[in-house]
Amino acid sequence: MAEKQKRVAFGALGIFIFLCIWYAATTLTSLGKVMPDPITVLAGFFTAFVEPIGTHSMIMHILVSLRRMLIPYFFGGVLGVLVGILMGWYKLADAILMPYIQMIRPIPPIAWIPLSIVWFGFDEGSKYFLIFLACFFTIALTTYNGVHSVDETLVRAARMLGAKDNQLFTSIVLPTTVPYIFSGLQVALGSAWATIVAAEMIRSSEGVGWLIISGQEVGNMTQIMVGIMAIALTGLLITSIMRGVESKLCAWTVRGK
Amino acid sequence: MRMDSERQVSTNDALIEFRKVDKFFNKPEEGRYQVVGDLNIKVRENEFLVLFGPGQCGKSTILNMVAGFEMPSAGEVLCQGKPIEAPGPERGMVFQNTALFPWLTVMGNVEYGPKVRGVKKEERRQKAQHYIDLVGLQGFENSFPVKLSGGMQQRVGIARAYCNEPLVMLLDEPFGHLDAQTRYLMQDELTRIWQAEKRTVIFVTNNIEEAVYLADRILVLRNCPTGVKAEYEITLPRPRNYTDPEFLRLRREIDSVVDHTL
Repeated sequence: MAEKQKRVAFGALGIFIFLCIWYAATTLTSLGKVMPDPITVLAGFFTAFVEPIGTHSMIMHILVSLRRMLIPYFFGGVLGVLVGILMGWYKLADAILMPYIQMIRPIPPIAWIPLSIVWFGFDEGSKYFLIFLACFFTIALTTYNGVHSVDETLVRAARMLGAKDNQLFTSIVLPTTVPYIFSGLQVALGSAWATIVAAEMIRSSEGVGWLIISGQEVGNMTQIMVGIMAIALTGLLITSIMRGVESKLCAWTVRGK
Repeated sequence: MRMDSERQVSTNDALIEFRKVDKFFNKPEEGRYQVVGDLNIKVRENEFLVLFGPGQCGKSTILNMVAGFEMPSAGEVLCQGKPIEAPGPERGMVFQNTALFPWLTVMGNVEYGPKVRGVKKEERRQKAQHYIDLVGLQGFENSFPVKLSGGMQQRVGIARAYCNEPLVMLLDEPFGHLDAQTRYLMQDELTRIWQAEKRTVIFVTNNIEEAVYLADRILVLRNCPTGVKAEYEITLPRPRNYTDPEFLRLRREIDSVVDHTL
C-alpha cells in the first residue's frame, strides 16, 4: 500500500514539475507566442464545464465522445474475441482469415475516412466504423495468441481426467485466453480513444475531437489544448477503470505475478 | 481380432500389458528414430512397479503410451485386455511439472476429474475432500497452486489423479523437480498414501535410491531403443531404510547393470 502511495506521489510530483517548466517556457521565452501557458489552459478546461464551447459543456463533449467510442468498441470486442477464438481453434479459419487481418491491420484509421464517408455517410456510422477498425484487429490477434498459448500438458491432464472436447474448451482454453483478451481489450481501449479525433474530423459539432478540429478552424490555440487535455484525462480515467476490472476478474494471474 | 477367451486369459494375470511394442519418432534432423524396441511388460494388479533407467531412455514414452497420449508404432498396449486408444479416467497420471490448472483452487483441481465426468457437486466435493485429507492438504482447499510449495503442488497432483479412482496411477518422475529433503519426505508420503489406498502404480524415475525405496518390482530399462534389461523383486518390508545393508546391496547390484551414458 505504501508502495502504491509513493507511486501516486511521484506521478503527481512529475506532473507538477512539467507544469512549472511549461509555465516558465511560455512566460519567459518566445514559446508563449505559439502556445498558451498552463494556467490559461487549465482555466479554459475547467470553465468549459460551466460555460459551453459550441453547443455543449465539457462534460457533454466527453460523454458524446465516450458514447461514440464505446458502441463500436463493444462490437469490436465481441467480434474480435469470437474471430480470435475461431482462428485459434480451427486451422482452416486461421489459414483463411489471417492474411486479411495482417493486411488490413497496419492501415491507419485516417486512411479509411474517405471510404467510410462513402459507405456510411457523414453521421455516426462512419465514426463507428473507424473506431471499430481501431480496436477489432488488436482484440482478435491477442485472443488468437491466447488460444495458441494453451499449455499442452494441461490439455493432456484434462483429457487424462476425462474431459471431452467441449469441456476442454471451456475449462482449459477459455481460462488460458481470458488474461490475453483483457490485455487486448486494454490496448484496444487506448487506440479506440485515440482514434476519436480522426473520427470527429468527419463532420461533427460536438465531442472532444471536435474541440480540437474547431479550435484549429477558428485559430483558438487554448481550445485545442483544452481538447487535448480532455482526451488525455478521460483516457487516463477509462484505462484505470479497465485495469481495476481486470485485476478483479483475473485474480489468479495477478497473484501469480 | 482376438477372441474373447484370449482376452479373459490376459486380464487374469496383467492389468496393463505391453506386447512387442515398438515406438518410432520422426525427428527433423535425425529422421526416423526408434525410442522403444520390442518391449514386453506385464503390470500386476496393485503392485508398485518402478521403471528405472538412464536420462533420456524413453521411460516417459512408455508411460505416455499407457496414458493414451502416444500410440505404439507396432505391437499393442492393453488395459484389462483391451487396446488403449485414448486418454481416459481409468489411467490417472501425475506429471513431473505437476500440470495443475493455475486458475483453479486446490479443491477445484482435485474435483476436476469427477466434475467433467458429471458427478454431482455434493458427492464430488466429499470425495475430493477425502483425497485432500489423504495427501495432508487440509486447510489449503481454497489456495491457488502458485501459493503452494513444490512438494505441496505435487500432493495436489497425486490427490487429483486419485480422486478419479483410476485402475492404474502413472507417475512420471513426480519428484524430479523437488529438493532432496522434500523428495525424501514425498517418498515417505507416497508410500503411506499408497498403503492407505492401494492402486496399481507405474512409477518412472532415474533415481536408483528412489526406485529401491518405493518399488515392489523394478524394471531396469536399457538405453534407446528402450527395452527391459533386468528385473528385480524388492521384498524389503516398508517403511524402508536407505542405509539398511540389504537396501545398499540391492542399490549396488542394480547400479551395476545400468547403462551409464553422458
